Amino acid sequence: MNGTQIALLAVGIVFTVDAVLLLGLITLKAVHRQRMESHDQRRSAFLGVLSRRVSFPLHTDYIDPKVVNDGAFLDAVIDLRNTMAGPEIETLAGIIDRYGLVKQQAARLRSRFPLGRRLRAAVVLAEMGDESSAPVLIEFLDDREPEVRIQCARGLGRMHHTPAIDAIIERFGQESPWVRSRFADTLVGFGAGAVWSLLAYVRVNHDHDEGNEAVIEAIRILGIIGERDVGPALIDLLHRFRDPELKIAAIDALGYIGGPMAVTPLIGFLDADDWRIRNKAAHSLGEIGDPLANDALRRGLEDANWWVRRSSAAALAGLSEGLEVLHQALHSGDLFARDAAAEALADCGELGRAREREEQGQATDADRQLLGFMTEGALVP
Amino acid sequence: MSEAKKVLVADDSEAVTTLLVTALEMAGYEVTIAKNGNDAYEMGKTGSFDLALLDHLMPGLLGIEVIARWQADGYEIPVIMLSGVDDERTIVDSLDLGAVDFVRKPFRLPELMARIRQRLRD
Repeated sequence: MNGTQIALLAVGIVFTVDAVLLLGLITLKAVHRQRMESHDQRRSAFLGVLSRRVSFPLHTDYIDPKVVNDGAFLDAVIDLRNTMAGPEIETLAGIIDRYGLVKQQAARLRSRFPLGRRLRAAVVLAEMGDESSAPVLIEFLDDREPEVRIQCARGLGRMHHTPAIDAIIERFGQESPWVRSRFADTLVGFGAGAVWSLLAYVRVNHDHDEGNEAVIEAIRILGIIGERDVGPALIDLLHRFRDPELKIAAIDALGYIGGPMAVTPLIGFLDADDWRIRNKAAHSLGEIGDPLANDALRRGLEDANWWVRRSSAAALAGLSEGLEVLHQALHSGDLFARDAAAEALADCGELGRAREREEQGQATDADRQLLGFMTEGALVP
Repeated sequence: MSEAKKVLVADDSEAVTTLLVTALEMAGYEVTIAKNGNDAYEMGKTGSFDLALLDHLMPGLLGIEVIARWQADGYEIPVIMLSGVDDERTIVDSLDLGAVDFVRKPFRLPELMARIRQRLRD
């Protein structure tokens, strides 16, 4: 064989292999599509049967016990579980119990391999949210696979299984930041039931030498849950924290928690040495929205730091009588305060409204001052 | 014998439509399903429904957009809005636009059925 023949042979082999691979890929896709269609059809059929059972508990549609091995049946149970609330869930819980779905998924979770199957079992248990799976989910909070641990915590949160809260919080210090953050998010599912355990964790673990990342995560979740009863205790801790990151996290959380009790302490933090703390305090005062903070935020417009000025102005834009304060600040002797006020007035739509009123011949003195300020190019470049 | 009342159920979740269709049909209503807002709007224009259950967040038109368009076109179909969105603005907007009721998802089936019966009696 000469060189040309060898080259032609090589090209032929490459084409043949490509054609075979392409054919294989097309076949696989077709099989997969067929399987998905079949899965969807079975899921629809199961939804119908389960819906009849739930709507009329005396309904006697036969469900073959073998269906527990069918992923479509599990999907139908989960879909229906997420659609309903109230006592009717008990009917579904009865089906879950009768067909041993929790036991079956627990056995899959206990098997060593494959990971995908174990993970699917954890997701199914979490999504079913059946109280009988709580001991299994608690058992696997220590699983070697992070995603399995997260799904178990999520399931416990979904079913508001409060005895698991401490076990979940205990894991904070042992997880990587990413896993810890997702673990922490699962506590939101417990709502107010989790706040005192979280607060106790913060109280015991803040300002330790190992770093405060886990404590900051706990404070973040306290803010998201937003239970007002923890406000005074969090304010007390805020004054004790040494790490500025902890203070920032607590001030942020207080903004979400809201309530008048946080306003005076937060105003105090507008005088903090650390500009990040002053900035966060201004932001949180805006979140709370109490006009008691107007004067303090007005002073914040003249802060040495641009971010603090900006946050103070943005906070004022959302407060009752705050717009008036911002309009007055346009006359400030401090150019930076005027700049921050004008920017906030533009951001909150006040500039646009002033333009509209001017076009309609209804502009007020404040509108004309704002428009004049903007057109004279007085903004700090 | 009186004619069965006609109910339009519009939701992109198969679990919701299957459950509602099952419960409504067993209660003696005639049910039609729409999988998205556009279909719901078109079906509503036939003018033959006594009640519509509309999901707020659907592909195509939103539930409140469907109500607004029906009203603009002169179709007065009583609507019960279903929504997983729990914010006050959505509830207020829905009721302001003419929805007769608002039910949060996940819902309690007997309570929803009672609200439907009440509306169809009116």
